[in-house]
Amino acid sequence: MTPLMNALACLLALASARFLWRDKVSMLKESLILLGFLLISCFYTFFAADMSLVQMEHYPFRMLALFLCFSTTELPRKRRRYLVLAQTAWLWVEFFAGISLFYRGLDMPWIRITAIAGIAFGSSFLSRINREMEFCLMVFWIAIWVFF
Amino acid sequence: MFRALFCIGLALLVPGLVAMGVSLCGGPVEWFTDTQTFWGVPISLFVFWIGLAHAGTLISAAFLVLNVKMDRRTALLAEMSTLCSLAVAVCMPLMHLGVIANFYMVAPFWDARGNISNVRSPLVWDFCCIAVYGVLSLLFFVSHFCMNPLKDDLPTVAVARAWIKKVRRPMAWILFPLVLWVHSVVSLDFASTFVPEWQGAFFPLYFIAGAIFSGLALVNFLLTFENYRVRVLEKLTLVCSWFMCAFWVWNFIINGNFCVSAFVFAGVLPQLLFVEWVRENRYACVSLWLSILLGMLLERVYLVSPTMETFGWIDLGLVAFGAGMFLVTFYGLRRLLQKGIEDDELLMGDVDTVGEALDSEFEAASRKYFLPLSTPEYRILRLPVLCGILVAILFSIWTFNANDQVNIELRLVNVFPLFGPIIALVAALILTSRALWTVSRKSVRWVVVSLLVAFAGACGAFYAGGSSVPEKASAETSSQLLDNVSVVNVVWDSRCATCHGIDGKFNKKFVREFYPVPQTLSLDRLDSIGEDSLVQVILQGRVNMNSYEGRISEGMARNLVMYMRILAERDSARASSAGEDEE
Repeated sequence: MTPLMNALACLLALASARFLWRDKVSMLKESLILLGFLLISCFYTFFAADMSLVQMEHYPFRMLALFLCFSTTELPRKRRRYLVLAQTAWLWVEFFAGISLFYRGLDMPWIRITAIAGIAFGSSFLSRINREMEFCLMVFWIAIWVFF
Repeated sequence: MFRALFCIGLALLVPGLVAMGVSLCGGPVEWFTDTQTFWGVPISLFVFWIGLAHAGTLISAAFLVLNVKMDRRTALLAEMSTLCSLAVAVCMPLMHLGVIANFYMVAPFWDARGNISNVRSPLVWDFCCIAVYGVLSLLFFVSHFCMNPLKDDLPTVAVARAWIKKVRRPMAWILFPLVLWVHSVVSLDFASTFVPEWQGAFFPLYFIAGAIFSGLALVNFLLTFENYRVRVLEKLTLVCSWFMCAFWVWNFIINGNFCVSAFVFAGVLPQLLFVEWVRENRYACVSLWLSILLGMLLERVYLVSPTMETFGWIDLGLVAFGAGMFLVTFYGLRRLLQKGIEDDELLMGDVDTVGEALDSEFEAASRKYFLPLSTPEYRILRLPVLCGILVAILFSIWTFNANDQVNIELRLVNVFPLFGPIIALVAALILTSRALWTVSRKSVRWVVVSLLVAFAGACGAFYAGGSSVPEKASAETSSQLLDNVSVVNVVWDSRCATCHGIDGKFNKKFVREFYPVPQTLSLDRLDSIGEDSLVQVILQGRVNMNSYEGRISEGMARNLVMYMRILAERDSARASSAGEDEE
């Protein structure tokens, strides 16, 4: 995938994230939004990426994890808990997909994994997440997505 | 109703046991084995049942972690379904191994013969993760009965709530990621192999979604027979069916695989839950949950053995064994614990209404100043987890050294998947042992101590390795089976083919999982080693091969060597004719 399409994927996740926790929370509504985003990510990956690259096998799920991270900044309550959970989910996707790709000859993306783990661990100590901190976290996530 | 289900279980278990017995005697040739993947029905059933085993504890732990209200009856039934499914699941890979007595070789330790299993293999990770998961699920389940507010000597609901806060909730924080970790590792059995249909970096998530989906269907199925409904679980099942469809679509895009029957049974039919009549009708609901379970079973079979078209009677017998054993153990256990399950209205998860006094106490504690490393949170959860991390680091240092001695090159990524279960085991044992010790009676303490001694004994047995000398009777019987090629063929297929392959060219996929693949037994190599030496290898064993002395006679060993020669000659003739064709 070209850097431009990769950055566009990040933008897509960022733009869609604000719709997840809008209005009244209902399991079916939230799930439908998540499913919709996952399907969009699948089709985006299929059309925007070279599907012969094995790294693309889990790309839509990475997008979904990033989408979840961005969406936690919209939460009114218990933000720290869901922030850590969303980042752990992203870490999970990267780590286990990395192991499966390692056995097929690719290197583990250790820098990306360490960066996500570092932020997830660090954010578990945040006592209050204000607007500036939200912005900071979003910049970190975008940097990980684009540069690592 | 429960008695009827128990009887259905027994009716399924009897033919299932016959199929199991035939499979154990005959070995892997008895069931269908896929020519492409070398795996068959036992592994399909293992993946299916281990999936079912994940949802119960996961639901209970996740709801507790996220403060979602759930009555204890549902939690108990869900956790019980986990334990029973786990018992069924572990039977399957044991049978698949062919030589059950050697199952301990999968544990990542030295044995007395100096062998160490291949820590690079996901099958070894699997063994550790599932063993730890089983132990912790049992502890989690047992912890219910240590806080029973109905008991006279443990009087109030407040005590039970304090127990939830001090033990069950921290335990849930350990179990929640462990469950996901275990199923991710199970998926790596597939995703890290060379089989093209299984190559997908998304498999860990795909397997987790499948496990949760099928497990939820099972829990709903069991609750329906209790004449009981938990709407949030029904909604979750529906949501999971959508995500499974998304995974199937993506799998189709990546690998070109699509199991139509699974899509219909587990993807389309569950949407009937939107129809009110179906939701309210007990029989319709049971049919729906069964449809999901059937769809997921077919999906697992399709995934593990893509070329399978029909089930043989042994395969069907193994399916019946799984279902029968589950129903018998579940409803047997349910009858045993009937009082605790039915006479209880305790709500898990959110406790803000009844436990106000306790909440304010905890709130006051959170405002209090604590010296560094002395907060209740640190003592209860973080310290045990840190101890677990320390043990995991020590284990990895030891493993690197041990593998270095046998010239196996390890990377961090090969050992890392074992970190999850090690940390969870150490943390949960520290967390629960202290709490259980204080509330349990003296007799129970003795039981626990005896269990620990038994565990130490099992570790010793692992180290010593299993005896390879069976009773005299079987040796005498085998001495009579001489000079008959078809008999030698049967012995080869049942005793040797698991590793050496039916054609004598090694079952490489199987061997590679555990050990470095040795040289092929070609005609030249057989000649260079010599018949007598090979007979000695069979009888005395060598490196990773077991000694068969006492199990087969020397005559049979000689016949096996001749049979190996026949296979090697066939292979060499095939190779030379292929060479001529090319010319």
